[in-house]
Amino acid sequence: MTTVDPDIRIPDPIELDAAEEARLRAAAGMMPSPAGPEYSGFEMVGIPDRPPQTEREREMYTLNEGEMLINLGPQHPSTHGVLRLVAKVRGEVIVDMDLVLGYLHRGIEKLSEYATYTAVLTYVDPMDYLSTMHNEHAPAIAFEKLYDIKAPPRAEYIRALVVELNRVFSHDLMMGFLALDMGGLTPILYSFIERDEVVELLSAISGQRMLFNFFRVGGVNWDVSDEFISRLSTWRSKVDKLIEMNEWMISENEIFTGRTKGLGVLSAERAISLGLTGPNLRASGVPFDVRKAHPYSIYHELEFDVITQQAGDSYARYMQRVAEIKQSIHLIDQIVDKMPHGPVQAQVPGIIRPKPGRRAYGAVESPRGLYSVYALSDGGPNPYRFRMRDPSFISLQAMPVMMPGLLLADTMAVISSLDPVMGGVDK
Amino acid sequence: MAVGPRRPRRSRTAEAPAPATGIATTDAPLVAATSQVPIVIPDAAANDELLLPFAMDDHPQGGFHGMLEVIPTKADYILDLIRANSLWPLLSGLSCCAIEMMSTATSMNDMDRFGMFPFRASPRQADVLIVAGTLTTKMAGPLVRLWEQMPEPKWCVAMGTCTTSGGRFKRSYSVVQGVDRVMPVDVYVPGCPPRPEGLIYGMMKLHELVKQRRGEWRTYVDRGPQRIRWEGDVR
Amino acid sequence: MAHVRRSRPAADTLGRRRALSVPITAGPLVRSLTERLGEDVEHLWTDEDTVEFQIDATRVIDVMTVLRDDPELAFFMLADAAGVDYGPTEHLEVVYHLYSWKHPAWLRVRARVNRADPRIASVTRLWEGAMFHEREMYDMMGIIFVGNRDLRRIYMSPDYRSFPQRKDFRLPDDAADSPAAGVNPLERPETWDLARFRDAPGVRTPALEAEDRATTAGELDGGGA
Repeated sequence: MTTVDPDIRIPDPIELDAAEEARLRAAAGMMPSPAGPEYSGFEMVGIPDRPPQTEREREMYTLNEGEMLINLGPQHPSTHGVLRLVAKVRGEVIVDMDLVLGYLHRGIEKLSEYATYTAVLTYVDPMDYLSTMHNEHAPAIAFEKLYDIKAPPRAEYIRALVVELNRVFSHDLMMGFLALDMGGLTPILYSFIERDEVVELLSAISGQRMLFNFFRVGGVNWDVSDEFISRLSTWRSKVDKLIEMNEWMISENEIFTGRTKGLGVLSAERAISLGLTGPNLRASGVPFDVRKAHPYSIYHELEFDVITQQAGDSYARYMQRVAEIKQSIHLIDQIVDKMPHGPVQAQVPGIIRPKPGRRAYGAVESPRGLYSVYALSDGGPNPYRFRMRDPSFISLQAMPVMMPGLLLADTMAVISSLDPVMGGVDK
Repeated sequence: MAVGPRRPRRSRTAEAPAPATGIATTDAPLVAATSQVPIVIPDAAANDELLLPFAMDDHPQGGFHGMLEVIPTKADYILDLIRANSLWPLLSGLSCCAIEMMSTATSMNDMDRFGMFPFRASPRQADVLIVAGTLTTKMAGPLVRLWEQMPEPKWCVAMGTCTTSGGRFKRSYSVVQGVDRVMPVDVYVPGCPPRPEGLIYGMMKLHELVKQRRGEWRTYVDRGPQRIRWEGDVR
Repeated sequence: MAHVRRSRPAADTLGRRRALSVPITAGPLVRSLTERLGEDVEHLWTDEDTVEFQIDATRVIDVMTVLRDDPELAFFMLADAAGVDYGPTEHLEVVYHLYSWKHPAWLRVRARVNRADPRIASVTRLWEGAMFHEREMYDMMGIIFVGNRDLRRIYMSPDYRSFPQRKDFRLPDDAADSPAAGVNPLERPETWDLARFRDAPGVRTPALEAEDRATTAGELDGGGA
């Protein structure tokens, strides 16, 4: 324990006397500093200056004395894709933060209006590319409501099985990425071993490795295959050890806990107001889980509890994921035990034309939270309007709320604990 | 370089070493039987000044430290060989394909076997730009800027159908229909996304390309105009 | 693991959706809503897990405040907010989906917005998280949310002058033929020519045009045009 001498005080450049600064500026041959706050626009971060469009933008990009803008992204290794953050800092302390999105906006909602209902299930695949099965689950639920058809029980069990498998590897990758953003390279290697095994497992049932395209309106594409069963039992026999090993490397690590505990704290009320869902919300103590709150598929037949954490910081969000991995493995056991026989696909025509004017809302619990779909039919073969609510898009709004007061280097830890996927954020 | 007094030059052709007895003793180093014929390095006499600091004077055979005795090739070939076996990619992922690119780099499909592991975070240190994922019009500017920041020689790999042609988002209002509209592409890897094996195959094709095209920068300058048309293309 | 085996389809298990996956009784919810918001809401539809209401767009703040703060309703979570375009001759619509612990159903609230002047009150005062929803609706549909402090484009670049998810924005096979006079000019400084967008035949409203005149007047007219 080192003792800090209270008399020694490192002078902060922000607190320099204005007269002293003027003297220094004059000595250096610089212009005198502007008297008041100055709107810097985007000039500082590499984009042409333009007048502010909104009140909030003026507030964000107006710099007071001693403040500066720092741009992160859109190409930055730690922003999980093509997210761009503009941080307003005083020294190393973040004052405000702005998110610039849209670098991966592919127009999936618009393209879906030009595709048949079955083809829409392929368009949503690359959206949240770490939870592809969940991306297909919500539209499948919504289209089944729209067309007034029900998937057979075995199909519902297979759906639940694959989405829980998907949740395992998605959360597992989050553990690795979070450690990677703090400089630990090893956990991501273990995470990818685990991820590759699950992805190969799911490709044995769906035929495609990453964007599975497994769900159909009224069922699933294939019944489980022998290769899938053998791989599943092999995977199940060793998954606990793999997860434990990864957790053992990360959870008690002193650097890791020092950079996550107490950082990025969100209270329950604030998290609800911000629209956070999923593990991020449950880490703040709100027991909202769509699987329990509004059971879909077969989740009302399974036994599980909603796990919550109380701290609401980055470490709680991490521990929430670890607990949910184990919960998902527990659910997989139950699903496999209870799986009935029967068909996997209801009889639906090749081109589905629901009745005009029908609306349907399908929501699932994706690894990042409430993922929902709102579909509207006009009687044609294509949805008239297809709307997706992606959880990571909404949960990114917590960044400007959590970051003020933290150091610039904490940005990585906090954003990684929210676990956004930019494919889903930008649609 | 040595600045001190010039060392006495050792004659390499005058006296041949004694015939090998085949018996190694502690005070006499073992000399291979083939070394009875003295090996003459052609450039040694001409570039004596440069090579002198590396001379192995106490070696019975002479020669220089760290040099092959015979170099029957051109410098371009050696350079291409070196480049091909240490291609460092830029750590830049756009969307879904980036996850498969990371999977290619990690333990299960070890891209390090081909000298490709250190994903560089800075474009100044990278040789290969693997465009992994859909390129949108908003991202095209920053990506071109990254490409222009990479030093020559450099190569570009278009990974996935989105980067080769726009793929499933070809009709979209915000997607660039193929990354070759904004920058030259050397290898196209199809697939949505390609399996890691596919990317490794594409990388081995890139190795062949690097070895075949000696003096890559000259080739690059030749096809320069191709890449400055990007603005009109996308608009 | 023994139960996971290939099995043949059994025709008797196929059929229409007969049992509700979430059996609910929407009656109490509909009754308590019409009690509290008698004139404001109009019950449209009760699905197996959704209750749908239509409200007057001018009353959106009042209705949402009651829905959120009334202890018997307690719709604490804004699950979704989406914009819908019903075509060039029709209206726009904002659709909210809410969730409450007390009622096992999604509540869908629809509010019509006039297409000629697409204004509706922002709910960011009730839910901070509505910010990105509303920015997205503004970007994609051109709906203006009064009271939103940060209503700027979120996906497309700031100089984009069209609303891609409106029905009169056609999806061309080549983006160069787009009615928005092309797509984002790649965020390059030299292409930031706002005059290029002035005559773009995109979707414009009088209110937006007035705003554009106010913001771009200095650059277009004073810039030597």
